Amino acid sequence: MSAPPGFTKTHLVDPFEIHVGPVFEQGEKGARRFGFRVDARHVNMRGVIHGGMLMTFADAAFGQAAWDATDHADVVTLNMQSQFLAGAKEGDWVEVVPVLTRRTRSLIFLRGDFTVDAAPIYSVSSVWKILGAD
Amino acid sequence: MSDVLDTLPPEAENISLGGFNRHAGPVWRLPVEGEVRRFALVVADKHMNGSGSIHGGMLMMLADVSMSQTSRAATGAKTCSTVSLTCDFVGPGKLGEILVSRVRVTKKTRTLVFMSADIVCGDRPVAVATGLWKIG
Repeated sequence: MSAPPGFTKTHLVDPFEIHVGPVFEQGEKGARRFGFRVDARHVNMRGVIHGGMLMTFADAAFGQAAWDATDHADVVTLNMQSQFLAGAKEGDWVEVVPVLTRRTRSLIFLRGDFTVDAAPIYSVSSVWKILGAD
Repeated sequence: MSDVLDTLPPEAENISLGGFNRHAGPVWRLPVEGEVRRFALVVADKHMNGSGSIHGGMLMMLADVSMSQTSRAATGAKTCSTVSLTCDFVGPGKLGEILVSRVRVTKKTRTLVFMSADIVCGDRPVAVATGLWKIG
């Protein structure tokens, strides 16, 4: 299933992201909106999106945002806090605009509210490390 | 804590039977060790990131699956839902390694289960997660 008009495929590098993707994006560097369409691979036995897929999408989207903030430095996730507010089902379009809360010399703080049809379903805050910047 | 596993024990049971569990898995249930429920993942090519380590999303998936299973086993409930999950990424997990998620129930109420999961490779910590599940 396709993305809404105006979205293009995000270039994914990590094998696990490619395995669960595609991921799509819209907008300028530093303010990109990311989204994916929930398909049969992403749901649990009850037909509801698996938390593991939401957390993987968050890690992928935030990783892209961390790259935007550092001009593609080597970055790794240190911590991710996830709140699961509501379900999503097959066919739903899930999207987020990661927000850069703060960047220090070695750390990046990001947060984001994930929505389906503008309703919040999932909320994340996350800390990233810029490798080699101690 | 425990030795590094180089093969899954014969009692290991594949619990990734459908949907995203099967697509991302398999995750294996290992025998219970006292108060600790244990689950294992053999790190495969598809689980990796671009830097030669297991992807953070797959580590959170393992934490989520192992705490979900534990919430049901500990309460007898048919379904439990993740309310929140926090994960610290402590060290890398490499291709071919067997990662074990060791889950403890911190507290159970009528409607909620509080848990923690240590994801290790032998004695080496890979990730530490805490989670809150709603029963039903």
